[in-house]
Amino acid sequence: MRSRRTVIVLVATLLCTAASPSARQADPTLETRLAMVRDQIEREGISDSRVLEAMREVPRHLLVPSQYRQMAYEPRPLPIGEGQTISQPYIVAFMTEILRLKPGDRVLEVGTGSGYQAAVAAKIVGEVYTVEIFPSLAGRARRNLESLGFRNIFVREGDGYYGWEEKAPFDAIIVTCAGGHIPPPLLRQLRNGGRMIMPVGGPFMTQNLVFVEKSADGALSQRNVLPVIFVRLLGH
Amino acid sequence: MANEIFLIRLLSLRFWPHFVPLIISQAMLGFGASGVVLHLLRTRIAEKPGVVFAWVVLLAASSFEFAFRASQHVPFDPFLLLWNPSSWPAFTLFFFLLAVPFFLAGAAIGLPLSFGLGKVGIVYAASFAGSAAGAVIALLAFLLVPTESLLRVLLGLGIFASAFVLAYPERRVSAGRVVCVILSSLLLLTRPVPISLSPYKDLAIARNLPEARTLSVRSGLTGDYRALYSPGIHSAPGLSYRFEGEIPPQAVIYADGGLRGIVPRGGGKALPAYLDFLPAALPYRMTNRPEVAQFSLRGTEGILMAARNGASSVTVVDQAAEVVRMIEQDLAAFSGGMPSSVRVEIRKEGGRNFLARGVRKYDIVELADVSSLTFSSLGIHATGETYLLTRQGIRDALFRLKDRGMIAVSGWLKSPPRESLKILNTIRAELDRGEGEVAHFVVVRGWGSFVAVARNVPFTGDELSAADRFCRETGFTMVWPEGRARKGDEGLEEAAFREGVKSALAGPSTGMQEEGLFDLRPVSDDSPYFHRFLRFGSIPEFRRLLGEQWVPFMEWGVVFLALSLAVSVVLSAVLLLLPLPFLPQGGSTGGGAVAIYFSALGLAYMLVELTFLKIGILLLGDPIRAATAAIGGFALLSGIGSAVSGRWEFPNARRWIFPGIAVLASGGFLTLSHGVHVLLAEDHWVRASAYLAALAPAAFLMGIPFPAGLSRMARAGSTAIPYAWGVNGFFSVAGASIASVGALWIGFHGTVAAGAALYLLAGAVFPRLGSGTPSVP
Repeated sequence: MRSRRTVIVLVATLLCTAASPSARQADPTLETRLAMVRDQIEREGISDSRVLEAMREVPRHLLVPSQYRQMAYEPRPLPIGEGQTISQPYIVAFMTEILRLKPGDRVLEVGTGSGYQAAVAAKIVGEVYTVEIFPSLAGRARRNLESLGFRNIFVREGDGYYGWEEKAPFDAIIVTCAGGHIPPPLLRQLRNGGRMIMPVGGPFMTQNLVFVEKSADGALSQRNVLPVIFVRLLGH
Repeated sequence: MANEIFLIRLLSLRFWPHFVPLIISQAMLGFGASGVVLHLLRTRIAEKPGVVFAWVVLLAASSFEFAFRASQHVPFDPFLLLWNPSSWPAFTLFFFLLAVPFFLAGAAIGLPLSFGLGKVGIVYAASFAGSAAGAVIALLAFLLVPTESLLRVLLGLGIFASAFVLAYPERRVSAGRVVCVILSSLLLLTRPVPISLSPYKDLAIARNLPEARTLSVRSGLTGDYRALYSPGIHSAPGLSYRFEGEIPPQAVIYADGGLRGIVPRGGGKALPAYLDFLPAALPYRMTNRPEVAQFSLRGTEGILMAARNGASSVTVVDQAAEVVRMIEQDLAAFSGGMPSSVRVEIRKEGGRNFLARGVRKYDIVELADVSSLTFSSLGIHATGETYLLTRQGIRDALFRLKDRGMIAVSGWLKSPPRESLKILNTIRAELDRGEGEVAHFVVVRGWGSFVAVARNVPFTGDELSAADRFCRETGFTMVWPEGRARKGDEGLEEAAFREGVKSALAGPSTGMQEEGLFDLRPVSDDSPYFHRFLRFGSIPEFRRLLGEQWVPFMEWGVVFLALSLAVSVVLSAVLLLLPLPFLPQGGSTGGGAVAIYFSALGLAYMLVELTFLKIGILLLGDPIRAATAAIGGFALLSGIGSAVSGRWEFPNARRWIFPGIAVLASGGFLTLSHGVHVLLAEDHWVRASAYLAALAPAAFLMGIPFPAGLSRMARAGSTAIPYAWGVNGFFSVAGASIASVGALWIGFHGTVAAGAALYLLAGAVFPRLGSGTPSVP
């Protein structure tokens, strides 16, 4: 069984390698995306190779509304409808890295939005469960993610405040819509040893990120983490 | 005038207050543009000025309604304006649409002035009288008419005005005019257009939540208020992660579409437990059975928190009578009423008025509006007056404390910290008596918010122990006093806040730090802009970050104000230069003297009027009353001045009118600014009377120079009168923005002084108007 899986992986790797040049030719945004990762992500201190690779792979421009596609790889949030935004690429990378995601993890995302954060996480982990309260956003994200071939992302329309109890516990929880407080139901659905990240601020204005860890014995601890671009402003 | 005031309300609801100066400025450009167009078309208009006038009035009648309806269909995203050039065409269309009614209204006034349809002084006086009436009508409309129907008032007024020009000037009614009036009247019968909110407004987002339903709608002088319930609303800003219970269903109150307060369902009957886990609960843990004063009725949460923590009484001060009625009447069934365990009194007045009027002392005085989670964090309130958070406001609040009473402030933390440190600087500056005030503060932070308490005497060991217990229960961190429990794994942001607090409370310069990215110095009543943090020296750094990375540290209120100023100046310059080739050449009737005189008048009038308006907010308690008193007062008195201006044409009059204005405007403002602290304690009518008395002499004289200048030009046969009207309009527009910029950076006194200086300049130029040989282009 093990040797068969190894063969499959090898073949897939060869196919991917072979397909790579043509994929680059087929995707005119690839160079822009690679430049984004290089200039906005790596240069700003993100070093987790899995995160960097995921950011290189996910076609962000296909997850933003068509009128903003030409701005998809710029260092800023963009409107996605319903008064919601897709975070700037750096914040997505930062939140993904700090969760120390690994293959096989089960992740809950609250606030599917465009589906971009879920897509980046899904490139790394086993399963991503994502909840979106606005039906229009949930529907669009589901369609887009399916068309991009993601089979390990499960989109549910509902109130993410209550998490996804049937699928709990989760190794990591990403709250992408800042809500002013950490929902108690989410803390309950976090596995012992799990991590959770939540931005503080409104649309267009991530000011801060709160990071919660649940120890092996279930004790919670919290700290605020600061992206590098904010650190510079503090004069460090 | 009514249209301008209504637009402030409507656009505040659609967008945000910071957007209003920009839109109003551009809309008001219509006034100036009318002068230029009248000038360029003067030969053709001169053939039948009365007919043109009648049609302008007829078209103006329905233009307010049409322009606003059309503007709602123009899609643009305010947040993309700065970096996405493709947003600009839509935005340009948006504000030009809103300029159309102003253009027509401006033309309706400019035509009689320019083409001899009436005496200059009388026409100008009628214009002022109309402005005054507009201000009063707007005030009444806010009380009587739902927000969506406000423009109907203008439509009705327009149709009424149309009746006077149906047969003007030929004394016969044409079919075209009748059809025009009928169409306007039919518009009156259609349903008011729903106001289309920006999708980023709190209310717009909440409306789209599943099962959202509106519980109450009220509007009035202070704003448009809506209460909405959805099971998807869960608001508890700064709630400790130690809270493991359930937050009850909540209704949210929105003021002009922005979050104003929370009403937990049934909270009056069963006090919600989550309130114990909010940072704002700290002062209640440090005292027993306190008597509490709270500023701003933030739903019922503040009252419920006080009740849950054993307060003996709560006095809530809020000038928004509509919110009070909404909570006491409309939401009583939802909220379960007021808790029976505490005595609740709600005072409908301005915060500073309350502080100045009473003598009762309190154990806890909770201040409001320090910072919040959502869009106010973007600096949209940077240009809004916050008289409660000035040094004088804090001084008044400290005076209302019992011996061991405390001021409490809570709010959202930012990176780098801003409001939190600025309010500490302000309180320290007022407490600073060189007696080691470091013991007079306790500062606690949660994961995203802070609470600070301060008082006139040091906190005791027991009180500090109570604060420690509160932190242990909630997981919050004691930041001040120094040396108490500190988190072992303190992050950079937490360390930065701790250092900032230390610098603010124990630093060498008593909160007057000049360095740093933001201006954190205390503000005074002369420039009461607590939320302005922008330092000019930081602009290059912000600009660099805006190009490289999106960092939300720009103060959007200031950005839009600056943008408004820039656009006004550019458009004004273009439109003013446009007709110059057609102006009379040679002689002293050339464009230079006309431009200087009428631009100085337009600018100076706005600087003086708007600065009086801004101090009126402190004295009269709220912006709408102040706007009505200032705009109405100035318009009425200047109108009288204008009406009698013909009698002031004797040779020496001009020698003292301009210095007289400078002296009376400065003197009136000085009297008001120095007397305001005494007047604040007086009854509303006394304050209003004193306010009007202070502005009246200057306002009366300020009505004279414009018609005096036009009359002088008319006597000399100058053809540049429409141009003068345009110049004046343009600089009135720019004056609105410049007055706000001046108030932010040089203070009210400096702004009034600048206005006075401009009147002196106009006086110096006055003799050159029409004194040369006129020439017709």
